[in-house]
Amino acid sequence: MNREPTNVAGGGIYSISRRRLLQLLGSTGLAALASSCSRVNPAAGILASPTNLARFPEKAEMILLTDRPPQLETPIHYFRQDLTPNEAFFVRWHLEGIPTSVDLRTFRLNVSGHVRQPLQLSIDELRSQFEPISIVAVNQCSGNSRSFFEPRVPGGQWKHGAVGNGKWTGVPVKSILDRAQVRPGAVDVSFNGLDAPPLPSVSDFVKALSIDHARDGEVMIAYAMNDEPLPMVNGFPLRLVVPGWYGTYWVKALSDVTVLPLALSNFWTDKAYRIPNGPNGTESPKDLAKDTVPINRFNVRSIFVRPDPDEILHPGTSIEIEGIAFDSGYGIRRVEVSTDGGATWADARLDPEIGKYSWRRWRTSWTPGNRGQYRLMARATNAMGETQSKEQWNRSGFMWNVVQQVDVKVG
Amino acid sequence: MAPKTKSAILSLGLAALLAGCGHPSNISKDADHGVANAKIESMLDSRADSVVHTIVMPHDEPVFPPGPGRDEFVAACVVCHSPRYITMQPRFSRTTWLSEVNKMKDTYGAHISDEQVQRITDYLFSINGKAGTGHKGAYGE
Repeated sequence: MNREPTNVAGGGIYSISRRRLLQLLGSTGLAALASSCSRVNPAAGILASPTNLARFPEKAEMILLTDRPPQLETPIHYFRQDLTPNEAFFVRWHLEGIPTSVDLRTFRLNVSGHVRQPLQLSIDELRSQFEPISIVAVNQCSGNSRSFFEPRVPGGQWKHGAVGNGKWTGVPVKSILDRAQVRPGAVDVSFNGLDAPPLPSVSDFVKALSIDHARDGEVMIAYAMNDEPLPMVNGFPLRLVVPGWYGTYWVKALSDVTVLPLALSNFWTDKAYRIPNGPNGTESPKDLAKDTVPINRFNVRSIFVRPDPDEILHPGTSIEIEGIAFDSGYGIRRVEVSTDGGATWADARLDPEIGKYSWRRWRTSWTPGNRGQYRLMARATNAMGETQSKEQWNRSGFMWNVVQQVDVKVG
Repeated sequence: MAPKTKSAILSLGLAALLAGCGHPSNISKDADHGVANAKIESMLDSRADSVVHTIVMPHDEPVFPPGPGRDEFVAACVVCHSPRYITMQPRFSRTTWLSEVNKMKDTYGAHISDEQVQRITDYLFSINGKAGTGHKGAYGE
């Protein structure tokens, strides 16, 4: 499939002789690199290379954006499954000091701040003393699909795989706050994880939700993901789950819940993860918005999962076109597909809803008539009548939901 | 469940992880359910045989080509992050690279002088730059 422009990391820039490359590699220990059990080409950053794949602990082979801290993207074929396997769920950390070891004998979830009864809960206590709930919900990185913005913006150069659909099991934050007895005047609840900044000058990654949002009964602290413990790089042993909201709020390796009598103010709330305060977080590169707000709920989008990139299509032979669509919880009501570059559209069939925060699968059959190039497009609409963008840009590369175009060849 | 069974399941799981490099399993959820619960018990129960969960991160960092400013780049930048933070970016203008390096210094507190900011920007621009003025980068990702 020859679709949006491919982003090849450092594409073509690192021209270097083979001899010089071997000299450089020799000085860093080729054996150490080769033994790391991944198919990453140690020279990948120097030479023009196709997509790098890497295998991290407890994970399948994934698209490598960065290794320290890790940012790993899910290959699209996994989205043919309704629930994204834990081993393939995308990974995105901010700070170099990510947790690599957790001792459950000493690990505690600390609940403190503007409460009458601070708590220190072990995983055992969370599992045995609170009624668990399960929610199937999409988690999507704020910057998913960033590499498609034009002009390009700095940041994690994701394609469409910084998203996944999981079944999350754990305890509603409301149940925990009720036991801690929130005092009158609470404004925010902040969430901090075990990850640590590499320098004292770097702000610790702490995010907050309003007290009402935190107590909505759906925001939860998950100890299981698809009926299994979370992989370490996805937040073992506990992760905040904020259905319908971007992944930046889904704090991993969650260790501290703090009720605050005022709004949380730090780098990650005041400077980072903000969007222009306008329709769909859009602004012009020539006139950046002065007024910004924290990123929040997902907009509506859909992603093709079939045909396969390498699939050979034939005139007169029917194929199944398939994709997923989701929004922040209102529900996908319609997906239209075009096979002629947007000139005409037809409704796709929708699979039954799995849950309001889950993605919904759509399918349509297509029999191309003649040989040639075709442009496939898909456009989702939710129960509020909200649909996808035609054009979109913001300086941070957030909230991409432009109607996807997939160019296929019929031969 | 007997501790022996638990540890057997856990070590099976670990063996599968350590074996690495294979293809992802595609077991249906129903078939997997019994094992999944056992895995929760074996990994989340503090009375289980193995209560310390540990991973070892791979070392997968690219080597950078020589050039003016490379020493400053290596000394100041890779302390906090992998050089892949550079290699994954598209080509940017000098304006954009300068704003990224200044962000590292002013916002994140990288220990670099103004002179080093210029040297590092020169290096990044030389290996991954493009002509034009471009725009400044933003915060967060």
